[in-house]
Amino acid sequence: MTLTLLLEQIFNGLQSGVMLFLIAAGLTLILGVMNFVFLAHGAQVMIGAYAAASLTGITGNFYFGALAAIPITFLSGYVLEYLLIRHLYQRDHMDQVLATFGLILFFNEMIRIGFGPAALFSNLPPSLSGFVYILPDTPYPVYRLVVIGAGLVCAVGIHYLVNRTKVGAMVRAGANNEAMAAALGVNIGLLRRFIFAAGACFAGIAGVMLGPLTAVEPGMGEPLLILSLVVIIIGGLGSVRGAFIAAVIVGVVDTLGRVVLPLILRSFMEQSAADGAGPALASMMVYLLMTIVLVVKPTGLFPAKG
Amino acid sequence: MDIPFWGAKNLSTGRRPVTSPVLNLANINKSYAALQAARDISLSVERGQIHALIGPNGAGKTTLINQIYGSETPDSGSVFLNGENITGLSVPKRVRKGIGRSFQISNVLTDFAVIENAIIAEQARRDEAFRFFRPAFSDQDLIAGAMIVLERVGLQARADDLVSDLAHGECRLLELALALSGTPSLLLLDEPMAGAGPEETMYMTRVIESMRENVGILLIEHDMDAVFRLADVITVLVEGQIIASGEPDEIRANRNVLAAYLGDEG
Amino acid sequence: MDFFRLLLAGVREQRMLFGLMAGFALFPAYTAYADLPFWNDVAMRIMLLGMAAMGLNLILGYGGMVSFGHAAFVGIGAYCAGISQFYGLYNGWAHLALSLGVCGILGLVIGFLALRTSGIYFIMITLAFAQMLFFLFVSLEQYGGDDGMSIDRAEFVLFDLYDPLRLYYLIWSTLLIISVVLLFLVRSRFGVVLQATKNNESRVEALGLSPLGFKVTGYVISAMICGVAGTLFASWQEYVSPDIMHWSRSGELMIIIILGGLATLAGPLLGAVVFLLLEEFLPELLYLIAPDYAENWMIIFGPIMIFVVLFARGGLIGWISRFGAQRIYRQGDGR
Repeated sequence: MTLTLLLEQIFNGLQSGVMLFLIAAGLTLILGVMNFVFLAHGAQVMIGAYAAASLTGITGNFYFGALAAIPITFLSGYVLEYLLIRHLYQRDHMDQVLATFGLILFFNEMIRIGFGPAALFSNLPPSLSGFVYILPDTPYPVYRLVVIGAGLVCAVGIHYLVNRTKVGAMVRAGANNEAMAAALGVNIGLLRRFIFAAGACFAGIAGVMLGPLTAVEPGMGEPLLILSLVVIIIGGLGSVRGAFIAAVIVGVVDTLGRVVLPLILRSFMEQSAADGAGPALASMMVYLLMTIVLVVKPTGLFPAKG
Repeated sequence: MDIPFWGAKNLSTGRRPVTSPVLNLANINKSYAALQAARDISLSVERGQIHALIGPNGAGKTTLINQIYGSETPDSGSVFLNGENITGLSVPKRVRKGIGRSFQISNVLTDFAVIENAIIAEQARRDEAFRFFRPAFSDQDLIAGAMIVLERVGLQARADDLVSDLAHGECRLLELALALSGTPSLLLLDEPMAGAGPEETMYMTRVIESMRENVGILLIEHDMDAVFRLADVITVLVEGQIIASGEPDEIRANRNVLAAYLGDEG
Repeated sequence: MDFFRLLLAGVREQRMLFGLMAGFALFPAYTAYADLPFWNDVAMRIMLLGMAAMGLNLILGYGGMVSFGHAAFVGIGAYCAGISQFYGLYNGWAHLALSLGVCGILGLVIGFLALRTSGIYFIMITLAFAQMLFFLFVSLEQYGGDDGMSIDRAEFVLFDLYDPLRLYYLIWSTLLIISVVLLFLVRSRFGVVLQATKNNESRVEALGLSPLGFKVTGYVISAMICGVAGTLFASWQEYVSPDIMHWSRSGELMIIIILGGLATLAGPLLGAVVFLLLEEFLPELLYLIAPDYAENWMIIFGPIMIFVVLFARGGLIGWISRFGAQRIYRQGDGR
């Protein structure tokens, strides 16, 4: 394996890690701080991707479509919390799993009815579809670099929001503690709705950016949801910092594994079999990683304090 | 009566006390970050003795009981039950070796009937919980044993009621009955009278009095009347440290205690 | 004799469960009379799903362990049949024995590791193990990988499974045996302690019992029941693929349980009946209303699930039993 390929894959891993972080950031607060098992977070990614793709299609302007999709995802999280989620906080985990599983079915079917079962592909504007040389002989797509950059900017923003603002302090102090929140004079219902909407918004941003990279199709959110759950568990429930580190680890392990494992397998297998088995084994490695973390440290690598 | 203090020295020289105590704590230390919950605590409880542990809130009483019970482990020091070092054992193992415990907040099986609580306790006592065939709740043998458990605290009339239908005082009694069910040699009672009315407290006092015969009892209680009526020995704990230990009369007269503890209570 | 006395008492208490079983026993007579052989197929699928859900319900309902990966055991059971056949072993009894053994050992290992955690972590670690197994079978190209493998119906000495009714009654009698096993299990000394750990683990410890042992044992038994369901499922479907262990299948099993009634014996079977009837009839119903969208029946099914969670606590059994006193196995609220 050449250095070029390795570097390229590390960049791809970083890009997928940053995307996973955007999805996991809100989810880790929902699971960890609000103690709510929310499985329909992947649907927010899908909503973001579809909103961006269809708005781009209508207006013909990629930037407009991408930017206009963001408030839509925020709104969808806000409305969803108001209509359904707030009635489920006091329920046990299994009720939450099932109700949000029902939501997944509903959203996927809505999209299938609205946009058809086939995948949408959106084209990048010429300004984003070129290559840059990250090493003299290593071209790399501009768009992926933009995604990494935008993701990192979002990550800094989330970090600032959680650790430096009053809202963040309230989130850390009392999103799941009504007595404490009341003592601090926080409207806990509104706070939770904001976390949900913001989380949905970041997941939506991930969807918007993933649109041109993957197939935009019904059910696209679920594999991402499951992977971001892995990220959250490895990073420690409720820990945004942990989610970031774990997201990068998972992204790199998954991406590198997909490339490296088939190469290793080829040394003792037929090429076709190795190429078939490699990606699946790479996916397995991510879960193996999570299981090892949980067995060694049952609360994840960076458990949120308190 | 002498204040029994069988510290680590006694044990390390291999000398057994004449009447071997049920419980022996040797130099227990425990701290959480900045807070020291136990400083070099040594005490013992004899069979047939009620040893009361009193002190202001946050003195480390429940933490100490937890370390005897096994839900927390001391940073240093040892716990001896009937002369055997049990410091490293898990909660269920300690219970099987003869510790019964009642909790500050009632800790019973709320989805079950009173008799069902006692039946599960009874099958645990007999070490018959790992059986897969015969129905447990209709087993006459178990029911008979469970009724004995309930009779000890006078709850037999409520046997068929759901725990969630019990009054608070009755719940405390069930808690006590479950603590007694394993025929323990040491009972750890964490505020058994908490939240009980005056009549219930009287009744509870009589119940505790009636069961002292074969066990050593370590009692945490805020109701001072009950403590002075029941206890043979009182140990006063303040900020994780024993500041006094002795018979009730000595404690009553002890100036340190008055200043540090009874004074606060008015 | 004691056994039959206890069995009779149990059957009398569990009229719903054994009534359903009697219904399934007579159902082929009806389909033969009405000439609806297709419905035998549906009934077999109901019984198989019900069987797996009963297995999961032992730990989910009675033990309070929210395992989000039990479809993996169903899949392992199915692959026990599939891989055995791949190597020329067609004996169904051997498949069942293999499945019980493999699922038992796997359940022991996974249960022991997963039960070190609790709450959300337990949900996620069970999901992780299931995903690992899912991707493992996706990667095993020689057994069909992603596409799965076609297999024959297993050979049972007493049941020629190519006679459709024999397969039907093999599934039926296995389900009956499992029902009776569970009937005894949940009321046994072990069973009541398992339910006690769901209610209050710290009290179980205070009585001198180690909750972990009971939970792991329950987990193993539950995994084995799911494995048996999977092995028979392979014969019914004549096809095995990783899809059977996809995480959404685990979700389906949970839906079936909550639909029928958590921590009840008849609940999972009743839930499976309703679940498959919805799957059969919702598209037809939609076809009547909006013919273009008949395929999109999930758009109704999703909200039905949410509705059941929000408003039908205790499931269908809970609704039904409000008429009569059925307080033999207390139903916690799962909290």
